[in-house]
Amino acid sequence: MGLFSTNPVAALGRAALEGIAAIGRVGLFAARGISAALSPPWYPRQILAQFASVGFLSLPVVGLTAWFTGAALALNIYSGGDRFNAETVLPQIVALGITRELGPVLAALMLAGRVASAMASEIGAMRATEQVDAMVTLSTDPRRYLIAPRLIAATLSLPLLTLITDIIGVAGGMQVSNYLIDLSPSIYITNTMDFLTAWDVESGLIKSAVFGFIIGLMGCFHGDNAKGGARGVGRATTSAMVSAAVLILASDYLLTSVFALK
Amino acid sequence: MRASWAETIMGFAVLAFAALMLTYALGVSGLKHSSGTYEVSARFGEAGGIQPGAKVTVSGVKVGAVSDVTIDPKTYLAVMHLSLTKDVKLPSDSTAKITSDGLLGGAHIALTPGGAEDDLKPGGEINNTQGAVDLFGLIGQFIRPQSGSSAASSADGAAKAPAPAAPKASSDLPEM
Amino acid sequence: MTQTPMTTNAKIAWTGITKRFGAQVVLDGLDLAVAPGRSLALLGRSGQGKSVTIKLALGLMKPDAGQVLLDGVDVTRQSEAERRASFRGIGMLFQGGALFDSLPVWENVAFRLINADGIGRREARERAVEALALVKLAPDVADRYPSELSGGMQKRAGLARAIVGTPSLLFFDEPTTGLDPITAGAINELIRDRVTSLGCTAVSITHDMASARTIADELAMLDNGRIVWRGRADELDDADHPLVRAFVTGKSME
Repeated sequence: MGLFSTNPVAALGRAALEGIAAIGRVGLFAARGISAALSPPWYPRQILAQFASVGFLSLPVVGLTAWFTGAALALNIYSGGDRFNAETVLPQIVALGITRELGPVLAALMLAGRVASAMASEIGAMRATEQVDAMVTLSTDPRRYLIAPRLIAATLSLPLLTLITDIIGVAGGMQVSNYLIDLSPSIYITNTMDFLTAWDVESGLIKSAVFGFIIGLMGCFHGDNAKGGARGVGRATTSAMVSAAVLILASDYLLTSVFALK
Repeated sequence: MRASWAETIMGFAVLAFAALMLTYALGVSGLKHSSGTYEVSARFGEAGGIQPGAKVTVSGVKVGAVSDVTIDPKTYLAVMHLSLTKDVKLPSDSTAKITSDGLLGGAHIALTPGGAEDDLKPGGEINNTQGAVDLFGLIGQFIRPQSGSSAASSADGAAKAPAPAAPKASSDLPEM
Repeated sequence: MTQTPMTTNAKIAWTGITKRFGAQVVLDGLDLAVAPGRSLALLGRSGQGKSVTIKLALGLMKPDAGQVLLDGVDVTRQSEAERRASFRGIGMLFQGGALFDSLPVWENVAFRLINADGIGRREARERAVEALALVKLAPDVADRYPSELSGGMQKRAGLARAIVGTPSLLFFDEPTTGLDPITAGAINELIRDRVTSLGCTAVSITHDMASARTIADELAMLDNGRIVWRGRADELDDADHPLVRAFVTGKSME
């Protein structure tokens, strides 16, 4: 309604200003979170607990995703790639696709759904029930006790999960190739290992560290800014997940182009 | 924080599967050879996509890997440093040839053993080499055998198949 | 009626506090001081800025104008680290208890000891169980999670958390809201008992008159951003301010 009742140019300008202000808020939140994560006091129990819930408990969903992705990728290269003899390099394409792109991105997207939303709802609920205020009155900085452990755990555990994704994704491709097109596992593995370079895996791990930070940041930021009770917490959960996913894909493109020009 | 037993067991199952797969992969891909290797070098006129890590084979079986690729600043030849397993002793007059698995496949170095009495010493050099085939030059000649090829294919005329003439055009045998 | 700003030797004093949310002025030059060892109940209709008053004192909000003096020091100008240090002498019981639901009850009570004072977990647990006994909670409650407790037990655990560091200043935000009259009475007695035995200063927000009479030595009525009436608990029935009369009789002002 505001768009019609007022000058459309003013409305556009206001929207743009709000957008810039939002970027500024996220940036400030990120800077404070990083400085809290890098300076004492740390809360090792909280960091460990976050590693368990962000990293370890994400293993089943990430593992399943990786296996099916590797398997489907192998099938597609076999059935679609024979148009230009690509099936002769099937293991290599699967390995490249998993390590450089699909492993980091899919693991990150699964975590955006599983972890960023959970962080937002947990911190949002703590805000709504005054638990965050209570923490301040107990001489404890919520930024260090709540935010920093989540940022640390998300940033460090996603590369480890991606490593698992890489291995299981290749396993998925290998097993499908073995059962459906009778390609022996040892040939598959030899081709994969001879072909892959350290940088294929490393570039994926660097990306996933960035994705992990984005997941932690979006979860904490939206949770911390949740307003208006249960409805607000619900909204924060959704926006944490969606914004994390969009930022992951956008930064994936940016990082890949930086790596490609390197 | 209060995770259920099922979730914990699932997590360990995934870790175990990944560990198993990794052990299998490392076992198959021959890191077991890495215990004893020796280095030899070989000079090529055309490195043709060989990078550190590329495999080195004898009769199609992997016996080592390329450890480094450098350029000789005087002769402008590519110098390949090969890391070979100690189990395989090669005669000193063996031949090294850059070849590839398929149209898009990974380039590697194939060694053909010679007949000399003495073996290649660690740190020695393979003198008989054949550089990479310039694939696009080859295709170009196959499509247009007459045009543009002044030296290579004009000597024997168009009656002969152009393909056998191609390696001559692109391979240099260092003679020094 | 008279507002005597005893800011010089007060435990806590709000002087000339103004706080706006957008165009709405919540506090408009609030002056209020509480002497050491006194218990004050802050009365007022809903939405008159009672909670804001306490949050300003805790540094959870910043005023637009004015000072909050804690032992004569302005807390609104303190850095976050200084303010955290000054919280060592302060306990706060939040409206819903605000217990951390990811931690068992004893870790909630011992939260300050473990995370701010660096006391070992074993000793912290012992002190937490002692504090739980002071609010009449059995030791077996210590290992339960807040979601497994009734509303009254959550309030008790919250009170234990507020008093575990032997504070000299306690804040209570509607301590009896949502409780049945019998439980509410027990909580009121407990608060009175703790405040007296600790000898500390207390500021409570309430609109429950029974609660105010039990907890407080003094009462103050907040309306339109200022204190409009202040007196002792026994002066309440004789007060002539219309708003106070309406509170005492429970009748609408119109």
